[in-house]
Amino acid sequence: MGKTRIIAETGAGQHGVATATVAACFGLQCVVYMGAEDTERQALNVARMQLLGAEVRPVTSGSQTLKDATNEAIRDWVSNPTDTFYIIGSVVGPHPYPMMVRSFHTVIGEEVKGQLNRLIGKDTPDVLVACVGGGSNAIGLFYPFINHSEVQMFGVEAAGEGLDGRHAATLTRGDMGVLHGAMSYLLQDSDGQIELAHSISAGLDYPGVGPEHAWLKDLGRVTYLTETDKNALVGVELLSRTEGIIPALETAHAVAALKKIVPQVATDATIVVNCSGRGDKDMQTIMDHL
Amino acid sequence: MSSRLSSRLQTLKSSEEKAMGIFLTSGFPSPEVTDLLLDSIDEGGADFIELGMPHSDPLAEGLPIQYSSTRALKAGITMKDTLGIAARFRQRSETPLLLMGYVNPILRFGAAIFCEQAAAAGVDGLIIPDLPPQEAALMRVHMQKYGLNLVFLVAPNTPAERMREIDRLSDGFVYCVTITGLTGTGLAGRLDAINSYLKHASEIITHNPLLVGFGIQSYDNACDLTKHTDGFIVGSAVIKEVERLWACPELSMAERGQQVARFVRSLKYGPKK
Repeated sequence: MGKTRIIAETGAGQHGVATATVAACFGLQCVVYMGAEDTERQALNVARMQLLGAEVRPVTSGSQTLKDATNEAIRDWVSNPTDTFYIIGSVVGPHPYPMMVRSFHTVIGEEVKGQLNRLIGKDTPDVLVACVGGGSNAIGLFYPFINHSEVQMFGVEAAGEGLDGRHAATLTRGDMGVLHGAMSYLLQDSDGQIELAHSISAGLDYPGVGPEHAWLKDLGRVTYLTETDKNALVGVELLSRTEGIIPALETAHAVAALKKIVPQVATDATIVVNCSGRGDKDMQTIMDHL
Repeated sequence: MSSRLSSRLQTLKSSEEKAMGIFLTSGFPSPEVTDLLLDSIDEGGADFIELGMPHSDPLAEGLPIQYSSTRALKAGITMKDTLGIAARFRQRSETPLLLMGYVNPILRFGAAIFCEQAAAAGVDGLIIPDLPPQEAALMRVHMQKYGLNLVFLVAPNTPAERMREIDRLSDGFVYCVTITGLTGTGLAGRLDAINSYLKHASEIITHNPLLVGFGIQSYDNACDLTKHTDGFIVGSAVIKEVERLWACPELSMAERGQQVARFVRSLKYGPKK
């Protein structure tokens, strides 16, 4: 493609680290936009990106989180269309980004098929559970199973301080609108201004959601639940102590939702929870709250 | 070519005069002074005015217009306020008035109701930079019903085929963006490249007048970039001037208005007149 420069936006910093890594491998210049608030709560990932040679540009506009980082990355991209490729970190942005990112993330669902085959001798589970911010890990998990109608799917959004307070539950509480070049559910006010999302987890702190999730919600194919900041912290503890895996705060929302999901399904159901991220990056936040 | 905007542009073209469009963010620096600022811009000789509808996430804007939008929203401006401002302006002036803004607030308002109310307020057209032509079919239906012009934008990386399509779908004029980038970006060192692209665009875009904008800050810029175009649009430079004047506590409102009018006049006629 002849591009010499890579840009990305990042919330939790995982996508920024991944982008910085490939840029380092291929000797490309790399700039990562990150909300100033997120650079603080995910300082470890900022250090990783910098170590990998990327420039991290803190974004101080708006909510200083993922939405504003995405604004700045899009502005950079339209200003440098010749030499720059924009690697979007979720299933958001203008077409065909949501489709491309979904396709790349289907490695998750395909991996699940492989693991299930080895573990239970069939490649479809009964239930899939994943957290949803922009929704890339969830759509990547769900997509290979969408046409298997017997597979129940749950997406878990961040209820933040509660659905009547500050939250990031776009599908649960949002309305249809256009943000970052895509039509989907959005957190917005009565005048169409985008509202600030809030979640304890930087990666779910986004007022929009991938358009395919909006479609899957409207179809009723996927059930979208919410978990609060507090429950996410309980989820962190639960997975840490039962499995010895410290999950990311994002993932912890999916873990926490098991308390709602398990009573609804058969006792012998095979439930797959996508462990989308590890908790090292969140230790500071976790220590502050636990 | 029957709209207020089209007739104005046609009249200018027949007298070989370049059109000047001036952008102002509605509600900036506060909703109470937008009426005054519109009158000053009108008095300064704007051939048409673009009234910006502030949005929380104005993706095409550089810092000055981003800042003005944030400030206007903080001051409480709403879409309804902006329609009211437009309606009051129309009672005082026949200068063509377009609303410029992002698609989400329009969809939230309801596209059909918005077009109806904008037309009733005496608005002549809309510029919606994040509404791609291929997604605009429904909006065009509403706009045609209420006689509003819809202006689309082309940029230096727009392929010729798409320029032709945009020329076919636009009415009023085609907005030729100087650079691949944001409003208010400096043009120093790029004028030759911009002019060769404008010449290319002017050969393809033949159904509509061609107006150039983004980064034009002075009379000199305006002269340089209207060799191949029918006129120019200034936004960020006006916003910066307003910001500067409103930071001078010694100036009265009337003096600020006069200075805005003088600034606008200087963009079209040079500093001396």
